[in-house]
Amino acid sequence: MADQTPLDRIITRRQVLIGGSLAGFAAFLAACGTGGVASQAPTGTPPTTEPTEAASVAPTTKPTPAAELNFANWPLYIDTDDNDPTKHKTLEDFTAKYGTKVNYSEAVNDNDEFFGTIKAPLDAGQDTGWDLIVLTDWMAARLVRLGWLEKMDLGDVPNYVKNLEDGFKAPDWDPTNEYHAPWQAGMTGLGFDKKVTGDLTSVNEFWNAKWKGRMTYLTEMRDTVGFALIKLGFSRQDFTIDQFDQAIAELQKAVDAKLVRAFTGNEYAESLVSGDVVVSMAWSGDIIQKQADKETLRFHIPDEGGNLWYDNMLIPKGAKNKYTAELMIDFVYDPAIAAQIEAWVNYICPVKGAKDELAKIDTDLANSPLIFPTADMYAKVTGFRSVTEEEEQHMNDAFSTLIGA
Amino acid sequence: MSGLGAPVGSVTARSVRRLPVPLLLLLPGVLWLAIFYVYPAFQMFLSSFWTGSLEKGFSFSLDNWTTYPEAIGRYQEQFARSILYAVAATILTFLVSYPLAWTIAFKAGRWKNLLIFLVIAPFFTSFLLRTVSWRIILGDDGIALGPLKDIGLLPPEFRVLATPIAVISGITYNFLPFMTLPIYVALEKIDFRLIEAARDLYAGPWRRPGAVIGAVVGGSLLAVLAWIFEMPIIALLVIGAVAGALIGATLISEAFVRVTLPLSMPGVFAGSLLVLIPAIGDYVNAALLGNPSTTMIGNVIQSRYLTNADYPTAAALSFIMMAGILIAVIVYARALGTEQLTAGRGL
Amino acid sequence: MAAVTGSLELAGPPASIAVRGSRWIGRNLPFVYVGLVIVYLVIPVAVIAMFSFNDPVSRSNLVWHGFTLKYWLNPLGVPGLGDALAVSLRIAFASTIVATIIGTLMALALVRYDFRGKGAANLLIFIPMATPEIVLGASLLTLYVQVGKPPLFPLNELTILIAHIMFNISYVVVTVRARLAGFDRNLEEAAMDLGANPWTTFWKVTFPLILPGIMAAGLLAFSLSIDDFVITNFTAGRTVTFPMYIWGAARIGIPVQVNVIGTIIFVAAVGLVALSTVVQRRQASRDFPRARTA
Repeated sequence: MADQTPLDRIITRRQVLIGGSLAGFAAFLAACGTGGVASQAPTGTPPTTEPTEAASVAPTTKPTPAAELNFANWPLYIDTDDNDPTKHKTLEDFTAKYGTKVNYSEAVNDNDEFFGTIKAPLDAGQDTGWDLIVLTDWMAARLVRLGWLEKMDLGDVPNYVKNLEDGFKAPDWDPTNEYHAPWQAGMTGLGFDKKVTGDLTSVNEFWNAKWKGRMTYLTEMRDTVGFALIKLGFSRQDFTIDQFDQAIAELQKAVDAKLVRAFTGNEYAESLVSGDVVVSMAWSGDIIQKQADKETLRFHIPDEGGNLWYDNMLIPKGAKNKYTAELMIDFVYDPAIAAQIEAWVNYICPVKGAKDELAKIDTDLANSPLIFPTADMYAKVTGFRSVTEEEEQHMNDAFSTLIGA
Repeated sequence: MSGLGAPVGSVTARSVRRLPVPLLLLLPGVLWLAIFYVYPAFQMFLSSFWTGSLEKGFSFSLDNWTTYPEAIGRYQEQFARSILYAVAATILTFLVSYPLAWTIAFKAGRWKNLLIFLVIAPFFTSFLLRTVSWRIILGDDGIALGPLKDIGLLPPEFRVLATPIAVISGITYNFLPFMTLPIYVALEKIDFRLIEAARDLYAGPWRRPGAVIGAVVGGSLLAVLAWIFEMPIIALLVIGAVAGALIGATLISEAFVRVTLPLSMPGVFAGSLLVLIPAIGDYVNAALLGNPSTTMIGNVIQSRYLTNADYPTAAALSFIMMAGILIAVIVYARALGTEQLTAGRGL
Repeated sequence: MAAVTGSLELAGPPASIAVRGSRWIGRNLPFVYVGLVIVYLVIPVAVIAMFSFNDPVSRSNLVWHGFTLKYWLNPLGVPGLGDALAVSLRIAFASTIVATIIGTLMALALVRYDFRGKGAANLLIFIPMATPEIVLGASLLTLYVQVGKPPLFPLNELTILIAHIMFNISYVVVTVRARLAGFDRNLEEAAMDLGANPWTTFWKVTFPLILPGIMAAGLLAFSLSIDDFVITNFTAGRTVTFPMYIWGAARIGIPVQVNVIGTIIFVAAVGLVALSTVVQRRQASRDFPRARTA
């Protein structure tokens, strides 16, 4: 609807960027240069951050930055040189500023899977080997409950304190914002192949027998159940367990009627491209990226509402380089750096001031409601309320049964 | 080491007997498995008697044995599916592998190393890549199905992906070398003179018994598959019987049945275990190629462990599965009469 | 002798047209069949190879967009891929060698000797194969993080290697044992009668005869190790192996370079074996000219 037109605009923008087109990349570089966003010479001199006053955290009285920082993030979640994918300018800038080598690893593919690998050392009171990890809000909440995160020293992260978007402040699991620093946020909605399905706008499409066997739901419980809650007219931020169970029953109908081909993670996007699937519960960023392959793919937040989620930088308990991790958090909350990441990643940016910085690079992107959502859109999407451990167990259990495991 | 080749009772053997040779041979492996398998697995077993949660901590109590019957009751469907899919895949790998291994072992001459290697080589390429590749090939409108749909041979809503057939085929494909290799190894070592001698002894044609045995074996195997795939059992039984009879009458000789087949049984035994056991616990094929109603017990263990942090149930399910497999293996060994294998005598 | 090799096991009744027909089938059908199976096995790899020349417009490499060699010219041009591949190869080679030695010794002990506790030893070898991978991985991880302070097994390549050796041992034992069982002991006795000591007998008679079994076991171990994801994922710590890399990449689209690497591995492996076959053939025809059969 309203977001369709600007969305189409970014598509073209994305095609240029994603396609690895040299022209697009050159334009991007040029924009960087004129905008004074970032240093053109990643060698030597302390770069980049002059425009924003709070940027220079003087690490004089504080401990010195460590020689290395072990950073686990999701794949394709940071700015990457189009000609040499091993290069991430943001990380190079960080190294240039603090002398710290960043061991950046795209090790997080799934919240639960990654949790499985860090659970044992944390349980045994040992260092996980990571200094900074990026996990989704509900998993961050679980880690807070378990006491498995280090608190940030807010004095070390002035940019973060100043620039965190209000919408991401003080979730009930972290009222003082000491544990979580949002990295990117995203929305969950309807993904579909317009050529086959026409325009879809309603959450009821997920129960439409027309898409039988050619529709996927997400393995992410909060996303999938969220749509059922919306369909039933319940609130995602304030539902009872009984309403949750009704939502599961609603989903079970679709499964029993064999409407659902599979419950998936990001893989649904590949199935949309291959044409095996025509309707999906989808994440905004995925669809934008896949439009390069199949331009008839569309993303729409159902008129009845959609899901908002965010991934957070967290410092696991016992991290060896906690202070350096804080430096990194503060570094990416510099609007200029945030814009540099955003120009490549295209999810929702949680950093105030990044919009203006991004506008210097690319007006289209800066005006995209999928990166800096309008107030209207924020009104349409909601987060999933936080839950107690008992509730989480009950929900996961019911959801596992639904997906056959 | 020095007693290695010594036949029991010879002078050499007697003098070396005092050295615990077999124990020395076993020692490194046993130690490795004891430290890195038995001990952790035992701890895991204990965790099946836990109660509690991640946040409140877990506590151990033998009263929690009820986790076991609960787990069986709740997941019997997935257990049943795992067994059916694994058995179907084992039969299919056997049907594909035996003639393959036989031909390479006896007919390929100098090329046999190369051919057997060609059978294994695809498996050096990551299974995930290959499975994604199959998804491209078998896509609903892909290279294979698209044209058939276009000319009307298949209805437009026909699909292979996200069906039980896709899961079983995936397991079959991914585990095929585990069947082929042991059978090949067993066949390849057969002393050719034995077969020649057998041919001299049973020189006559063997059409009638061959046809009968072929019909029985072919019919029953296909009937089992038909039952698992929910296809018409009678029809496939007939097809299997006819095909088996033809093969039995034309390709199978008495020498084969009396010499080659029994001598290759250790390979068949090893191969079917190597396929059946991991296939029962597999979850990747069901996850990538199946739909919500084709999940197997491996998927449940995976989700209990990773998503639900329900370690007691995950552990209980694992041990139920392992116990079931062990019992099946023992029964199977008895049925195939291969227990003399473990005693170390082949012929 | 050479004449026998034609259709040794096939029923060979007196000639009539029908029979000659069935003989022809008997003689050639097996090769047609082997060819078909190999095609079936190789098809996915062929598709992988084909898409290694694709020039996709996004991360998605599912639709043909045009031919390019650029990914072949720079096969390691995505971050982490080269490192991941090197780690996987190191672990695969090391675990194959160690597990093959340990496993072969165990197989010898189990087939050749009667001793107390043999049933238990057999059981010990079977159970790891019957254990779900996730249980193996998770329980090993618990061991690694619990023993020692600081940990005796800090998670790195070594902990992956230990795990791979552990799950490979059983597969090696089972494969080698299939070869050893039914081994003709008369050959060894003959060697001993001729004066060879047990050591010489082992290396000159036993070992060459079971070598194909050991090689098969080694190949199996190698392919298991290089392809393992679940157990590795638990025991890897911050190390990333090739399958872990692909698993991660698969969620958003596997980079073309991975297809290139997959193709290279396949072609290199087949090429090496083809080469060694040719070399062996040369040697064989030089040493034993009459060995030309079939």
